[in-house]
Amino acid sequence: MTTDSTSAELPEERDVVDTRVPVTVLTGFLGSGKTTLLNRILTEQHGLRIAVIENEFGEVGIDDALVVDAEEEIFEMNNGCICCTVRGDLIRILGALMRRRERFDRIVIETTGLADPAPVAQTFFMDDEIASQLRLDAIVTLVDAAHIGAHLDEVKPEGVENESVEQIAFADRIVLNKTDLVDESEIAEVVSRIRAVNALAEILPARQADVELAKVLDVHAFDLDRVLETDPQFLIDTEHQHDTTVTSVGIDVEGEVDEDRLNAWLGTLLRERGVDIFRSKGILALAGNPRQYVFQGVHMLLDGESGREWEAGEERRNRLVFIGRNLDRDELDAGFAACLVNAPALKSRAAVSA
Amino acid sequence: MSIAAALDVDTAWETVVDDAPVAVHAAAGLVAVAGADGTCWVLTGSTGELVGTVTLPGGILAAQLSPDAEHLALAGPFGHALWKRATDTTVIAKTGAWSGAVRWAGPDKVAIASGRRAVVLAPDGRELWAIEPAPSTVTDLVWYREGRRLATAAYNGVRCYERHSARPVVEYPYLGSHLALAVAPTGRWICSGNQDASIHIWRTRDGGDLTMSGYPDKIARIAFDDTGYWFASDGAPDITVWDFSGSGPEGTRPRTLRAHETVTALAWRPGGAGILASAGAEGTLALWRATSGSAGARLHPAHARELDQAVTALTWAGSDLLVTADWQGRVQASRLPQALPR
Repeated sequence: MTTDSTSAELPEERDVVDTRVPVTVLTGFLGSGKTTLLNRILTEQHGLRIAVIENEFGEVGIDDALVVDAEEEIFEMNNGCICCTVRGDLIRILGALMRRRERFDRIVIETTGLADPAPVAQTFFMDDEIASQLRLDAIVTLVDAAHIGAHLDEVKPEGVENESVEQIAFADRIVLNKTDLVDESEIAEVVSRIRAVNALAEILPARQADVELAKVLDVHAFDLDRVLETDPQFLIDTEHQHDTTVTSVGIDVEGEVDEDRLNAWLGTLLRERGVDIFRSKGILALAGNPRQYVFQGVHMLLDGESGREWEAGEERRNRLVFIGRNLDRDELDAGFAACLVNAPALKSRAAVSA
Repeated sequence: MSIAAALDVDTAWETVVDDAPVAVHAAAGLVAVAGADGTCWVLTGSTGELVGTVTLPGGILAAQLSPDAEHLALAGPFGHALWKRATDTTVIAKTGAWSGAVRWAGPDKVAIASGRRAVVLAPDGRELWAIEPAPSTVTDLVWYREGRRLATAAYNGVRCYERHSARPVVEYPYLGSHLALAVAPTGRWICSGNQDASIHIWRTRDGGDLTMSGYPDKIARIAFDDTGYWFASDGAPDITVWDFSGSGPEGTRPRTLRAHETVTALAWRPGGAGILASAGAEGTLALWRATSGSAGARLHPAHARELDQAVTALTWAGSDLLVTADWQGRVQASRLPQALPR
């Protein structure tokens, strides 16, 4: 970065058009309707140039689309961070697509039913060449309303992840498909179970994946300026808590944050617990900063920057969300409370014990 | 950036191909310009006249002419192809396997990465031998020991093969995703460029290894010069040049070459005089006396030129002709004096 006389002024609100090509990731179990949704995207977005990367033999039959089949290749990074895995297959395929003169309007990645979404998301954080030309738009998880309950209940051997839980935890949008095959009480039950894992993702009921495409495309879920744009309801504990190890914890507290203490806390938290924290997002009020600080992370990787200015008279609030395994709400509440400049009374009892 | 001394560079010829070039390669009087969409233009090195075009359906990732320029091998996302100049015929193998690297060992055999394997083919496309599947897609290949041993890069290390065995005759393990491979012409060193923004180096004699880390970006382009004493890499806006003479680069500092924002191509001038050509996404073409100064020196280009477009590939056609190709398909051959002026 260069420093010159103009950089002393705060940057203008982000009005620069992001020309990077959006990438949508479709996850979900075999039979959940990924290929149906993909075919709908290709049909209804007719005229757009779409490239599809498939990790599973699919039945995509649209002439306009370039379809590349690839075997999933998960690579550990040699940086001591065990959860910093990337998808080598995506790096080389996306790299090759970007070297073509033809610009794609959109890229869709259809993962296998057993795929872990983390390496896919982390690829966009870890590879500069990709991050500079492509934008991870959203992780869209398809769920079969009739079968998801059984998948979530499936007990895996020690050390093996339940992929359904992971795919729901990582999702920005969840398409609750095949709602015509279950009754309303079953739908309510499934929604409640999904909510218990991921309180942040919008749930879109569908039959034959007939979801409104605008709801799953151009979501900008990974853009920092869209973090927590949908006002999260999850901050109130759902009365319907299931016994699940993967949960969402939301923190919503007034006050200003001490930057040094925040860095120390968040740094330690992600370093020590990053394996268990799948996604994190937040909008914070840093002491002495007229702008919001926004961040979002996948496991140990975090991306943060200044957001919009706080408006005059606007309440300076801090909102954070963690989605992960074995999260301790009290510990997170207390940890964050300790970052505040003047620790105010918290809504949660954690403040007392802290 | 300080502008380097103007160099009297003659444009020998210029032409345009209808695609974004991903590779250029020169041998025995021919130049091959491979386009991302699957067409490769074969030109004469002296005038840039079109000799023929070869098409690999589905796109091209790598292209190399045989040393006698009697054949051309192309590799792409869905397979590979071999072109025979005498008959202007092409044998296409639609393997469905990702082929991102191709290297001739001599006029009579070529190695092509094919998914997780590498296949060694005769110029007519006949398979001579193949390696067993590696842990991931093979990313790069290099022949050494006079074309008797094939080094391959894939996940978690470099594996070397000889004709008698599909299994490696020697392995150089290192955890991570190896993207690019180079073997010193002296045979003493094997280097890989890595996704984790490091260069890994093995001494072939005993497998002793070291890592050069701390680069800001992944290392995707590495090259030894003809002497095997000098090694250049990307991985940052600065190109780094390491001194591999004597006991190697351990404990030394590299020369750093600053002219680009993102390095898109680099190639040593044949003959081992320490001249390096490089290009960047911002459209700069630079020539370096890359071994001048002392260890740790920050070098400025001996010659730099701003082009309209990002250069996507470059190669030397002999020691006096530098061929560059830009994003829009413009191919330019520049004739350079034997000695760069001081």
